[in-house]
Amino acid sequence: MTATDVELIDIVKDFESGAGRVRAVDHVSVQIADGEFFALLGPSGCGKTTTLRLIAGFEQPTAGQVLIRGRAMQGIPAYHRPVNTVFQDYALFPHLTVEQNIMFGLQMEGVEKKEAQKRALESLEQVRLPGVGGRRPHQLSGGQQQRVALARALVKQPAVLLLDEPLGALDLKLRKNMQVELKALQRDVGITFIYVTHDQEEAITMADRIAVMNHGEMLQVGTPKEIYERPGTHFVADFIGETNFVDGTLLERGEAGFGMVKLMNDAVIRAQLSDTLASEGGPVLVAIRPERISISRADAGPAGAGMTSLSATLVDSQYIGTDTRFTLQIGENIELVARLQNIDDLPKAAFSIGQAVTASWGETSTTILDH
Amino acid sequence: MSAQALINENALGRNRRIKRLGKLGLLLNPLVAYFFLWAPILVLVLFSFNQSKSVASFTGFTLKWYSNILNNVVGAESAFSTELMLNAFRNSLFVGTIATAIATALGTMIALAMARGRFPGKRLLDGLLFLPVVIPEITQAISLAIFFKVAFDWIHLLSGERVFPGFHTIIMAHVTFNISYVAIVVRARLADMDPTLEEAASDLGANPWQTFWRVTFPLILPGVIAGALLAFTLSLDDFVITFFTSGVGTTTLPVFVYGLLKLTVTPEVNAISTIMMLLSTLLIGISLALQGRGTSQR
Repeated sequence: MTATDVELIDIVKDFESGAGRVRAVDHVSVQIADGEFFALLGPSGCGKTTTLRLIAGFEQPTAGQVLIRGRAMQGIPAYHRPVNTVFQDYALFPHLTVEQNIMFGLQMEGVEKKEAQKRALESLEQVRLPGVGGRRPHQLSGGQQQRVALARALVKQPAVLLLDEPLGALDLKLRKNMQVELKALQRDVGITFIYVTHDQEEAITMADRIAVMNHGEMLQVGTPKEIYERPGTHFVADFIGETNFVDGTLLERGEAGFGMVKLMNDAVIRAQLSDTLASEGGPVLVAIRPERISISRADAGPAGAGMTSLSATLVDSQYIGTDTRFTLQIGENIELVARLQNIDDLPKAAFSIGQAVTASWGETSTTILDH
Repeated sequence: MSAQALINENALGRNRRIKRLGKLGLLLNPLVAYFFLWAPILVLVLFSFNQSKSVASFTGFTLKWYSNILNNVVGAESAFSTELMLNAFRNSLFVGTIATAIATALGTMIALAMARGRFPGKRLLDGLLFLPVVIPEITQAISLAIFFKVAFDWIHLLSGERVFPGFHTIIMAHVTFNISYVAIVVRARLADMDPTLEEAASDLGANPWQTFWRVTFPLILPGVIAGALLAFTLSLDDFVITFFTSGVGTTTLPVFVYGLLKLTVTPEVNAISTIMMLLSTLLIGISLALQGRGTSQR
């Protein structure tokens, strides 16, 4: 990672609506490095697309600054910004051929027609769609239109490529293929990608860093691993993957980022503190990923160091193909879901519903979050 | 069969009869409606091919009246002359062309402002746009006549110049009502157009001017042409407003035909009317075809 390519400084964006003011982006600050694949992740209406549009120049911030390559973008219209966008519904010009679509941006720069044509052809090859230059967009499939939209933006060699849910309209299989291809393409061209998506899996598999947004706020920014393994808030832990949340009381904030929590069944467990934990004691949430919980027979030996073990009763099991989901009851009030991969040597037969078992997990796999 | 079953049977039979009656009504309704709409026009077209001069009976097919109006062979009792008719037709084309050009430009701009702009009072203006479409033509004609009179009086008062009604007043009047029609047609087209296309153009480096001419305009062009054809047709066909705003020597074709009617209904009038109707139908047909096109393009 080298220089900062895009910087948002305390951005606020309000929209006037019939009912009054709606805050779409709420004091967002972030730095995105040159050549980074940066994902804006969140549910619909979380402000991720508005953030993208603020960078593109389609919206002006109510307060705050957008810097691109160190230059303040205040008052600079979209057509003078060194960024290009791949729109969700591609927004290809229906009255122009594929080639003319790709040449459009170059001609606006004053590139000569011959040169523009040459670069359009190269660009189509880059997105692996040669030979369709003469066709109209509506004669192409959704996946092909997507590639044309990508070529049209990339041919301008922007400092930053903005992608607004570019794979949203494609079917699952095509989407998976395009994820791999897009990532490879980004590595090839070395352009900074800012990628808006509501699909957490897409963000995790493609991005170098993810920003999770909700209600206009940027809740957490980090690598996919950090976001998944050390979620900062209840929302992030809940939105990314599946999580068990257990109510507890924080007894003490210990050394080295660990704390002691008393659960509702009076068991006291040790777990890592989230980086942004505000609580100094009192009610908190403990987040445990289902796949980090292992189940063993109740009469198995005690857990090793750094492990938490609790007695539980197996109340349900559900086969879901790759995994089996077990529902565990701990004490009277705690219910946990554990997910075990269906591999040949898993002694599933050894577990039956109603059986007493031991649920255990590593202390680093549990995070204490503010309630 | 029990009494209850009988009652049910009767009710069923009644329902069936009502249904059958309803079906018959549904079938007859459009037939009657279309008959009332089209019968007078059919009579007119039919009698433009009638050998007899009277409209009492159809005595045989002829194209005589059509050739008469083109060859200036008309009875002495008629005020008709081919030269006058062609002159009136030329006037109509002149007024129609200029009024259409101005109304199309202004109407398109209004449609753009309504579709893309954000300004106070937009909804009110939007409603007002439909006004010329719904208010009685005679009201608009009289209001325009009075307006021109007042305006010309003021001009006379202020500059001493005397201005008289003429082509300029007819053209202004036609522009006035045509703007609405053009704006409505173009707006429908704009509503169909994805506004992200304009953002995409901007994103690719096109300034607003380039965006309009390279993206927006080509995409709404079918709507603009449709609006222009509609305006041109309305202008060609207009009688009432033209009649109230025309001056000396500015007789358009509908006004000319009206002049003929004052004396007697001759088969030539039928022939001219039939030709005018065909021309209008053709223009409106093209306009409708253009309005319907393009949505399937995406």
